[in-house]
Amino acid sequence: MLKFTKITLSALALITTSLGAANAAVTVLGWPGGSEETALRAVAEAYNAQSGVADADKVELLFYSRDGFYDKLQADMAAGSSAFDINLLATYSIGRYASYMEPVDLGPDAAKVFGESVLKTMQFDGKQYGVPTDLSLHFMYYRKDLVDALLADPAAKAKYAEISEKYLGKALEPKAPDSWTWDDWAATALYFAKSVNPESPVRYGTVLQMKNLLFNIMVWQSVARANGGDWMDASGNITIDSPAYRTALELYKKLYDAGASPKDSLSYEYAETNAAFGSGQVATALQWNAAASELTDPAKSPAVAENVGIVAPPAGSAGRADHIHGLGLGINKNAKNKPGAAKFLQWLATEDAALLYARSGGSPALLPDVAAKIAKERPDLVTLGQYAGAYGYVMTGATSANAFPVYELQAKEFTGYWSGQETLDDALANTKAGMEKLLKP
Amino acid sequence: MVDLDHKGWRIFASPLVGFLLLFLGLPILIDLVYSLSRVSFTNLRSPEIVGFGNYGEVLGDGQFWRASWFSLRFGVITAILECVLGLGLAVFLSPLIEKRSWLMAPLMLPLMVAPAMIGLMYRLVLHEFVGPVPYYLYLWFGDSPSFLNAENAFWTLVVVETLQWTPFALLLFYTAYRAIPDDVREASAIDGASARQILTAIELPLMRPTLIFTFFIRFIDGFRVFDNVYTLTGSGPGGSTTSLPIYIYEAFFKQGAIGKAIAASVILFLASFVGLYALTWLSRRGKGAAS
Repeated sequence: MLKFTKITLSALALITTSLGAANAAVTVLGWPGGSEETALRAVAEAYNAQSGVADADKVELLFYSRDGFYDKLQADMAAGSSAFDINLLATYSIGRYASYMEPVDLGPDAAKVFGESVLKTMQFDGKQYGVPTDLSLHFMYYRKDLVDALLADPAAKAKYAEISEKYLGKALEPKAPDSWTWDDWAATALYFAKSVNPESPVRYGTVLQMKNLLFNIMVWQSVARANGGDWMDASGNITIDSPAYRTALELYKKLYDAGASPKDSLSYEYAETNAAFGSGQVATALQWNAAASELTDPAKSPAVAENVGIVAPPAGSAGRADHIHGLGLGINKNAKNKPGAAKFLQWLATEDAALLYARSGGSPALLPDVAAKIAKERPDLVTLGQYAGAYGYVMTGATSANAFPVYELQAKEFTGYWSGQETLDDALANTKAGMEKLLKP
Repeated sequence: MVDLDHKGWRIFASPLVGFLLLFLGLPILIDLVYSLSRVSFTNLRSPEIVGFGNYGEVLGDGQFWRASWFSLRFGVITAILECVLGLGLAVFLSPLIEKRSWLMAPLMLPLMVAPAMIGLMYRLVLHEFVGPVPYYLYLWFGDSPSFLNAENAFWTLVVVETLQWTPFALLLFYTAYRAIPDDVREASAIDGASARQILTAIELPLMRPTLIFTFFIRFIDGFRVFDNVYTLTGSGPGGSTTSLPIYIYEAFFKQGAIGKAIAASVILFLASFVGLYALTWLSRRGKGAAS
């Protein structure tokens, strides 16, 4: 009996000790399965190896699967879970999670690393809720060989002018991609579509991701923004039914109906777009910056990698615009170790940590002088920082608590218009009515 | 046989009743409260009772009725196709399977794949640039249709669902078909019945309970379809492939409209209950008339 009691007490002591250690550590719920996870593992290891970090403040990582990540996170946070001290957050969902999180003071040096505009991607109601770890925006990918051939051939230029006159109502001349307007891009997409120009060396001029999915609206909406579109004006009125939104919606429909994009584009998202462009049968693609590594890698995209050009999204009547949103890390309101969590986030916002995160595969948006320090290893981050600084935007209201449902609503209504199930007027009227309900103060 | 009195039954049944009350009764009660409340993820613990507004919102939402129609149509069409194909295969393949029973194993393989995986698989299979189906269509005919646009997505999904679940119907029908005593067939053959007459007048009537049971199982599964549709087309362009479970899921998680989502699920529950009760009543009435 005495032996049994000793064993039981020893086991209890062991369990209590290990539980205590687990409680004391800072648990970070990160974005799983990609470069973000690799980079987070590297910085967590570096942080834990520092001599000044107490055992109780060492970082442990926790990952869900990506599928339904935000649904699971929302359910956990709403239930008051304390299973993690730090959790992932994104610009478009920050308003949704802010009430379950603690604002964090990143210190004065954070602005010198990321810049104020990037720090704002992690702010809600004027408060900082997280460290911006990764930034996403869009690149216009194009086939250099095809565009060069077009620019060098007078007969092709004449055909290009003829096509643009017929479909866009004005005879355009081919231009270099870095000076494209959206009309130039559309004319190029039509020129390289077999359905429009049977002589085209590829099947499609572009690949539009038009699946009923909020992320696809983020890709498309730069067309509207470049023409002056926004969700709401300074007084809080919904301004979705504007000439800018009409122009942008009509442009996509025109290209899809003309066959400039694959027939199944209404079911395309990120992966399908990469597969289409990587097949060598598509001339241009507006796609997330994350695709650059895949599309320019000869092992992953042998048909196009050597000929992929990258420029910022084309310009509209109001200039050039590139949707940005950040992923970041912030503190759970029910965290067991808030001081430890704050210490880790403050360290993560330092230049050394940001550079380590970048070297380990992450995509932080860094100020030019900071990005210059890793320009040789990560030239894409220099481009990322340049585009984010020069063209980056967040729609007014797109960090509110209901930003997510607004994107969902737009995705449903706009894909309804593109697929011919409802008129443009109905789609915009329904979207406006829904947004007024969702974004009312 | 132990003869239990009333008190004995109560004692033995109480754990089960307690379990049901805790794990079914309590959530249903909370659901009913939420369905009458204005509630989102921010006020889960303090819902504001607003009466039947959520029910009115659901019933007045055109998308709810479109989703109901999608689910009903999808459930009926896939159940009919699966039963017809499953029955045909069961009768046609019966002599072969009887001799080589291992054939049943590969025929059942589609059932082993998770529906969500089936959706992902067909995203690849039907993709114009990496999928084998469009590849061969281009190779042989110079073109490939759009499988997943608003016009064709419904029928593509019907085919995907039917291909996966026909083996289920085949399994049940084959079992029922083999359970018919051979001497019944032999006797009718001696009486001069043709193969078609044996099938329609002897075998199918004897298999009727299995046919009805399988049809309803497949209808219920088709009606509540979620996984493969969601991974293949999402809710479709303009919400064109929104089934009722997808409607409820999107209202709950994507729109954060918890009261509305639960009101829709309560309506679905009541409609299912009324439907099943009516079917049971009709079935009993049919039996009464026959006797």
